[in-house]
Amino acid sequence: YSVTKKLYSHRQTSNVRRPLVCYEPQRVSLTGAVCVQTQGYPGGGNPPPNAPYGGGRGPYGAPPSAPYGGAAGPQGSPYGGYGAPGQGGQYGQRPGGASGGPYAGYGGQPHAGPYGQHTPTGNIPPGVNPEAYQWFYTVDTDRSGFINLKELKQALVNSNWSAFNDETCLMMINMFDKTRSGQIDLFGFSALWDFMQRWRAMFQQYDRDRSGSISGTELHQALAQMGYNLSPQFSETLVRRFAVPGMRPGIQLDRFIQVCTQLQTMTQVFRERDTNMTGNIRINYEDFLSGAVTRLM
Amino acid sequence: MACHSPYRAPPHINAPPDQGFLWNIFQRVDKDRSGVISDTELQQALSNGTWTPFNPVTVRSIISMFDRENKGGVNFNEFAGVWKYITDWQNIFRTYDRDNSGFIDKIELKQALTGFGYRLSDQFYGTLIEKFDRQRKGQVAFDDFIQCCIVLQRLTDVFRRYDTDQDGWIQVSYEQYLSMVFNIV
Repeated sequence: YSVTKKLYSHRQTSNVRRPLVCYEPQRVSLTGAVCVQTQGYPGGGNPPPNAPYGGGRGPYGAPPSAPYGGAAGPQGSPYGGYGAPGQGGQYGQRPGGASGGPYAGYGGQPHAGPYGQHTPTGNIPPGVNPEAYQWFYTVDTDRSGFINLKELKQALVNSNWSAFNDETCLMMINMFDKTRSGQIDLFGFSALWDFMQRWRAMFQQYDRDRSGSISGTELHQALAQMGYNLSPQFSETLVRRFAVPGMRPGIQLDRFIQVCTQLQTMTQVFRERDTNMTGNIRINYEDFLSGAVTRLM
Repeated sequence: MACHSPYRAPPHINAPPDQGFLWNIFQRVDKDRSGVISDTELQQALSNGTWTPFNPVTVRSIISMFDRENKGGVNFNEFAGVWKYITDWQNIFRTYDRDNSGFIDKIELKQALTGFGYRLSDQFYGTLIEKFDRQRKGQVAFDDFIQCCIVLQRLTDVFRRYDTDQDGWIQVSYEQYLSMVFNIV
């Protein structure tokens, strides 16, 4: 914790963390199609691969008795509440058609990364999405066999070419890092890949005006369709809170993923305490702290 | 039982350094000479006492605290606050890191937070260590300690706003609850 010492020293290890934001079309990022804003959304009119928590489906759907929506989080992921819409952060999913299809023109094949390594062509382990397999070796720039926060951040770009924010990257690493090592292996990466593809499709679906960002109104519509019963003001506040200063109003894909995932988690925390389903809870200080600390971060 | 508040913010220590000294530091940290220190610049200038990079989330938290115009960084005037804030935490950390290991364990964390006025169960201190210990050592380094304290303080502040009778219990609706927790993420 030698703040002073380090601040004094002239030469620091130039530990460059800048994301490799790429403007050339051939440098496709993991978030592929979203980047190519000018081209429109190839999959624009398509419904999401599997309708996330449609209307009355599941126990927390539309029925008026439920004071809040917010579908039950998938149980597969290590942190319970976290997970993708639909099937959630489970490992070993089938490589669903979601990834390739409509975005094939963009995210299809990973091109040799900035470091020009070869993509290995070995046997893809069972349960690993082939596309994720290809990407893994491009993203794992230090070839450690694991993807850390820095590597993930460099690989993810929003539609306005901004790098993904740290919180979202960290959240996703924690979700798919089974060993709690702070980095993810190939299997975790494959699950993360599927997770990203689903959220990306959702983002495009709810970005009704195709502006490349989700406005307060669009977020409200998205949350309502996911089954949440929240006021329009709530969405407006969220968007205002997470909009990047100096950019056009609205949230980018990174924040959209963060907001939706955390909403899912915190709804779960609330529900666990709202045993009578009244929509109100009485909660003490430490329980409040521990609910937020253990589940939110 | 509820005679005094169960929570309180950490103390702040004083003694402002002089401007020339700060300016010197500011210029070294502001690598691109933009007049504003960004997250990356501050992160590179800070050390948590181990060989791992300073927690980027802590850096973000600190910058956002002092960045008045929401410009994504701090100018020289704001940097004075950042500097003081970090050195204050450094002093606090040193006080509680009794064995000088560079890490604070569960007992030291409890002593520190109790010193700030928090009254929390042993179990909860375990939870805090588990959540904020990025290096998986069962103890927290300097940067993670700051982040832990920031989060606790933010949660406490938001809880307090609802706990008008100061009895340590609140009643909230679903949307109120979500607004509370989203306030601190």
